[in-house]
Amino acid sequence: MTTLLEVRGLSVAFRDHAEERQLLSDIDFSLGKGEILGLVGESGSGKSLLCRTIVGLMPSSKLHLDAGSVRLDDEEIARLPEAGMLRIRGKKIGMIFQNPTSHLDPVMRIGDQIVEGLRFHRGLGRTEALEEARSILGQVGFPDPARGLKSYAHEFSGGMRQRAMIAIALACDPEILIADEPTTALDVTIQAQILKLLMDLRAMRGLSIILITHDLGVVAQTCDRIAVMRHGRIVEQGEKRQLLANPQAAYTRELIASHPSLPDEEHRPLEHERSHVRPIFEVDDLDVAFPIGGGLFRKRRDFRALKRVSLQIFPGETVGIVGESGSGKSTLARAMLGLTPISAGHATFDGSVLTLEREATLKRLRSEAAMVFQDPFNALNPRFTIGETIAEVLRTQGETPPERIRERVGELLDMVGLERNFAGRKPRSMSGGQCQRAGIARALAVNPRVIIADECVAALDVTIQAQIIDLFRHLAETTGLTLVFIAHDLAIVRNLCERVIVMHHGQIVEEGQCDEIFRSPREDYTAALIAAIPDIDPDRPIGGTAVPAELQPA
Amino acid sequence: MIRRSALSLAPTWPRYISRRPMLAVGAGILAFFVLIAIFAPIVAPFDPILQDPKARLQPPSFAHPFGTDNFGRDVLSRVIWGARIDLQIALIGVLFPFLIGTVIGTVAGFFGKTIDTVFMRIVDIILAFPFLVLMLSIITILGPGLSSFYIAMALVGWISYARLIRAQILVLKTQDFSVAAESLGFSRSRIMFRHLLPNALAGSLVFVMSDAVLVLLNGAAISYLGLGVQPPTAEWGVMVAEAQGFITQAWWITLFPGLAIVTLAFGFSLLGDAMGDLLGVHE
Amino acid sequence: MHRFRFILYRPIQFIPVLFGISVITFVLVRLIPGDPARIILGTRASPTALANIRAQYGLDEPMWVQYLFFLKNLGAGEMGRSTLYKIDVLKLIATRIEPTLALVAAAVILSLLIAVPFAALSARRQGRPTDHVVRIVSTAGIGFPPFWLGVMLIILFSVKLGWLPVSGYGNTLGEKIQHLILPGLTIALSLSAVLTRSLRAGMIAGLKSDVATAARARGMPENIVFWRHVVPNALVPTVNLLAINIGWLIGGTVVVESVFAIPGMGQLLVRGIFTRDYMVVQGVAMTFAVATVLINLLADILTVALDPRVDLS
Repeated sequence: MTTLLEVRGLSVAFRDHAEERQLLSDIDFSLGKGEILGLVGESGSGKSLLCRTIVGLMPSSKLHLDAGSVRLDDEEIARLPEAGMLRIRGKKIGMIFQNPTSHLDPVMRIGDQIVEGLRFHRGLGRTEALEEARSILGQVGFPDPARGLKSYAHEFSGGMRQRAMIAIALACDPEILIADEPTTALDVTIQAQILKLLMDLRAMRGLSIILITHDLGVVAQTCDRIAVMRHGRIVEQGEKRQLLANPQAAYTRELIASHPSLPDEEHRPLEHERSHVRPIFEVDDLDVAFPIGGGLFRKRRDFRALKRVSLQIFPGETVGIVGESGSGKSTLARAMLGLTPISAGHATFDGSVLTLEREATLKRLRSEAAMVFQDPFNALNPRFTIGETIAEVLRTQGETPPERIRERVGELLDMVGLERNFAGRKPRSMSGGQCQRAGIARALAVNPRVIIADECVAALDVTIQAQIIDLFRHLAETTGLTLVFIAHDLAIVRNLCERVIVMHHGQIVEEGQCDEIFRSPREDYTAALIAAIPDIDPDRPIGGTAVPAELQPA
Repeated sequence: MIRRSALSLAPTWPRYISRRPMLAVGAGILAFFVLIAIFAPIVAPFDPILQDPKARLQPPSFAHPFGTDNFGRDVLSRVIWGARIDLQIALIGVLFPFLIGTVIGTVAGFFGKTIDTVFMRIVDIILAFPFLVLMLSIITILGPGLSSFYIAMALVGWISYARLIRAQILVLKTQDFSVAAESLGFSRSRIMFRHLLPNALAGSLVFVMSDAVLVLLNGAAISYLGLGVQPPTAEWGVMVAEAQGFITQAWWITLFPGLAIVTLAFGFSLLGDAMGDLLGVHE
Repeated sequence: MHRFRFILYRPIQFIPVLFGISVITFVLVRLIPGDPARIILGTRASPTALANIRAQYGLDEPMWVQYLFFLKNLGAGEMGRSTLYKIDVLKLIATRIEPTLALVAAAVILSLLIAVPFAALSARRQGRPTDHVVRIVSTAGIGFPPFWLGVMLIILFSVKLGWLPVSGYGNTLGEKIQHLILPGLTIALSLSAVLTRSLRAGMIAGLKSDVATAARARGMPENIVFWRHVVPNALVPTVNLLAINIGWLIGGTVVVESVFAIPGMGQLLVRGIFTRDYMVVQGVAMTFAVATVLINLLADILTVALDPRVDLS
């Protein structure tokens, strides 16, 4: 394989009048023609900055390229003047990004954004360029390319927007495509489609790809080689199978161990006997509808977020509710807790019917159930210290005598593994993982029988995710807490929960024991969801269907 | 992603200010005007309304650094005394709208539904009238004068604060920490005043500064039109109005009171910008 | 073009606002202390005229019936008579609309001509001396009182340099344009300060935005990135800002017409207040309110045209 891009000894530092920080240190790697290199690391590891540095688009003038070389086709491009970089960017090295919604120009037609590159880099006339743009949109999987050309970004779904961004990048016919977390914002089934598209394009065009991701599963299934980054260094790199089978660096081992796709044998969830117990939550034919539009002249339409949902949750159980974005899983949680108006059906909490005796049930819910949220920063009042936040709950619940509150706050912090001095800190001086622990401590302050955790690890790095999951498992095992765990990530649910409920378009499509469902899903939708989970096993194909032999790297 | 305010990184105050010239200059200007307003009797060289027929329309000189007007009054002394009135206009003209608007906006945003609909309709209607036109109409009824101006401000000025706070509350209400507060059984008033309002206030505190500029300009404009502060009281808008008959002979009578308004307004604006940076609020 | 369909519905949505406007103007006049008939006709009205007006406005009826009479008169295009000019208020206003409209248009055009280049200059050189100068000047510019700025411009350009007329409006188109330059500039300078600040902020955000990064990553030169991707996105909020400031802009014309003695609606209003010509005050306030509503509709149309994401239907 011929080497296309070679990076040697690259170092970047942040420097202003006050401080100096090394952001990238001595980066070495190379990329062969037609190769896919996976660049893996958690947030802040410098993987995105590395790619921006390669194309000379450092995000701030306070960043300085101190040392190193970048050779593209044997031409040094590391310190090329801006004019020189214009013929590299886009034309030689294309880029796609995590969030297609913010990277596509909202007020310019998709077609015009593709044509822009074609005319600038390839000097085509307008009609020629439009013709070419149409064929590219077809290649990336637009069902109606002619219409796609005339549309704006907001008219498409997230997956189609990412396809549009790929089309724009491909228009300039680059040799290398840098894909910066291209599927992180997408649902798993869409993620699998986009990854497949990238692999197809590599096969068709001989494209070389640098795939930046935080998900070891994504690289395991798509890349030829992997480079693991941490704190601005490449801690380890090598051929995919070899690296996964025999990781050398301790951090790589930690990343692999944290990846939720590995079933965790020592921690199989407890099975509960529940045939004679009264369910703690019971939902019958629940409908939740939100009015949309509506006005003086337009009939009010309802968006039905939940359609005839029925379920039971028993004391001491750990239940996972999974589904893609918009499946109604968060709405279900809020409806069960009386935080969202119910349109039809019944919700019962431990024998009291929310829809009939609203005030009484709410009173019980507020003192026996608690919630943990997705965005750990947003879930805490930014103006309160953690101690104030927890103490406020203790005071409202009124079970802790005032003189015991300080002590109790300390105990709760102990339970979630935070130092007691965190009581004096505010959310903005804490990391995401620490805030999430504080959020769990606040939930525990209620002394609840049930905790509903809504996507509570989705915003966290994998190693932190694993720690929070461990914390929940520990709490469930030691305190007999009932846990309803809502997630889009099936792998996490498989590790933590004994029972799983799968939701799609506001309905429950399947439910059952975790083991059973994952082993033999009855519904096609569940099967597709499970197949789309990026697995750390490189021999499992993405999306469940085998990658054709001709597309496999030689 | 998650916005972290500069506050947490703020070093000690003196260093903080020295790194932010905007804040230093803005606070300095405001302090300067407050001081000369308080000590006007001491710092003003002449009586602001004492006429001196022998010293009419004198250009700036050593004795009269800003010159004299058509009645022979010292322009510098009148500008200094004017600071008292104009600072008062800005202060009172902002205070009542701020208080009224904050309460109405919080209630409308928090309770939503009918209260909010009624509120928004009233806002739509009042906003259809250009601010100054509505002010002038109210002053027509109440008769010219400073107290009419304050009443008109209180009747009309709260709208901006109420809208600002309402919009903030509506956003904050959907955020997880207020859903959390509800799920934890906190009372409505606790959620409204302890959790939502303090977070919503940052934006309107910054707006107080730009509003002070608008109120100052409006108060001076209404006095210029002859419907606010009445002569011979020294007020900057009145001074510009009185000077207009003499623009061919004495530019200084017009120039200096105007510069005073511009400088004071500049101080408010700088302070507002600095506060916006500090609190992480951007208009 | 279904996104523009709201233009058809909007007039019906105006109804509650127009209703509110009529209530407020009605109440304002009734709040004036004194005999309403004399307030409408002036102090020197004859007893027969007073009796007629009482019948026409139903002044002996309860307040809500009076309001219905008021609406009925309004529907017939009857806004009362000016006690000063001795003609119908509606006719009087019709003769005064043109100068005000011309002044507002001149101010908006001039302020955009000033704001866009300066904001662009400033945003593209963020943190450098040019940027600091533009920022300081635009921050200070917000605090320039229009009445004072107008007088200063007269002193400089009319009195000292003699380039432009001191005041008035003129009769021919050429004269009118000459007479509009200074007043237009007076308002535009204040308005452009506000616009420059917002445009600059929008452009800086745009230059740092993902859209710009993506354009650079496909090799677009900085000029294309700026004018083709950053500016169109920054203009959308500016249109809204203009609409929000329209009330303020009209307030500016009221003051500036007084400064430059332009025979427009603003001058009419101020003179009406001084001469207790209440029907004129009422008529002008109502006209300004209706104009504001229409201008907001115009801004909405412009926003929909500029931003394909906005759908007001």
